Amino acid sequence: MADVDFRQGAYPVSGPGTTNLADILERVLDKGIVIAGDIKIDLLDIELLTIRLRLFVASVDTAKKAGIDWWETDPALSSRAARSALQDENRELRERLKALESRTDDESAPAAAKEDRGT
Amino acid sequence: MTERGPEPSDAKATYVFAVCRNPDPAVVAGLPGVTDEAAVGTLPLGTLTAIVQPVRAGDFTDEAWQARLSDQRELERYARAHHEVVAAAAACCPTVPLPMATLYHGEERAREALAREADRFHAALGRIAHHAEWGVKVYAPACPPNDTDRTPNRRTTPADRSRPAPGAGLAYLDRKRGLQERRERRQDEALRTAEAVDAEVRGLATASRRLRPHGPQAAGDRRVQILNATYLVAEHRADEFALLARTLRKRTGADIELSGPWVPYSFVGEV
Repeated sequence: MADVDFRQGAYPVSGPGTTNLADILERVLDKGIVIAGDIKIDLLDIELLTIRLRLFVASVDTAKKAGIDWWETDPALSSRAARSALQDENRELRERLKALESRTDDESAPAAAKEDRGT
Repeated sequence: MTERGPEPSDAKATYVFAVCRNPDPAVVAGLPGVTDEAAVGTLPLGTLTAIVQPVRAGDFTDEAWQARLSDQRELERYARAHHEVVAAAAACCPTVPLPMATLYHGEERAREALAREADRFHAALGRIAHHAEWGVKVYAPACPPNDTDRTPNRRTTPADRSRPAPGAGLAYLDRKRGLQERRERRQDEALRTAEAVDAEVRGLATASRRLRPHGPQAAGDRRVQILNATYLVAEHRADEFALLARTLRKRTGADIELSGPWVPYSFVGEV
C-alpha cells in the first residue's frame, strides 16, 4: 500500500510516512483505547476482547517474522488459565516424585539393613 | 464461545477506526479503509465523532480474521489500512485511535457503546492534546571484532591438535572464561546504556512506556535491541527531543532509532 504523506496541519501527528510493519503492528494491535470488558462489544456474540486475543494468537507467526514477539512473555496475553494449569501439573508432578522417592527410600533402607546383618 | 446460527452473508457490521473531535469528513472520505465495498465515513456521537466504515459482517468474523492474519501480507494490508485512517483523522483533528478489529453489529450499536465511553474519550483527548508519540529503539553497539574472532583458532595446526602443549587445557578454559566475562560485561554495559537513554528521554517526555524489545528479526537484522520504548512528547519539545537523541547517539555509541511522530496510540488507554 502506498504511504500517504498527510498534510501537516495543526495536528502534526499523522504518523511517520514510511514506517516498518513492526512499528505499526505494535500500535494498532496492542494499543489504542480499548472499549471492552463489561460491555458486549460484539460481532456475532463474540466479545471484542476475545477477538483481540485470538487475533494475537493468529498473528503470532507472521508478526514474529516482522520482528515482534512481545506477547510471548506478556502475562496479559498469555492465558492465566493455562499458567495455573501448568502450575497445577507441576505441583502434582512434584508430589508424585516425592512419593516415588520416599517409596524407593523405604525399599532400599530395609535391604541395606539386611545386608548389614548378613555380613 | 457461543455458537451462532447462520448469518446472512450481507449482514452489515461497523468497523470503528478512531474517535475524534470535529473531524473534517472530507479528510477521511477518500481513504480505502479496510474494505472497498463502502466508504469511510463519520458517525456523530454528541460532541465527539467516530470514524467508521460499514463492512460485511461475514468478512470480519473470528475465523475470517484468523485466516487473514495468518498471512503476513494480509496482516500488513489491514494494519496499514487501519493506521492510514487513524493517521488521516489525527492530521486534521484531535483523535483517539481504537485498536484494529474494533467492530460492532451496526452503527446504532457502535453509537450506543461508544457514547457510553465518552468520558474516557474526552480524558484521553485531554491527555494527548498537543503531544505526539515517539518510538525509541536502542541497539547495542557492535562488539569489537578482535574480541571474539581472534582467540579460538590461534594455534590449531594439525600437530597442535594431536599433541596439545602442556597446560593447553587450562589456557583454553582461561580463554573461554575471558570470553564469557567480556560478554557479560558487554551485556551489563548495554543494559546500563538502555537505562541511561530511557532515563534521559523520560526527563523530556510527558509519559513513557517500555515495550518489549524485538527479537532478532528474520529479515536478517543481527543487531541486538536493548531498548524498545515509546514516549509522549509535547509538540514544542520535538526539536529538543531529536537533539537529545543525536547527543545520546554520540555519547553512548549505541544505535538509536527514532520513529514518529505517531498518533499517541500508546497513551490513550489507561496508563
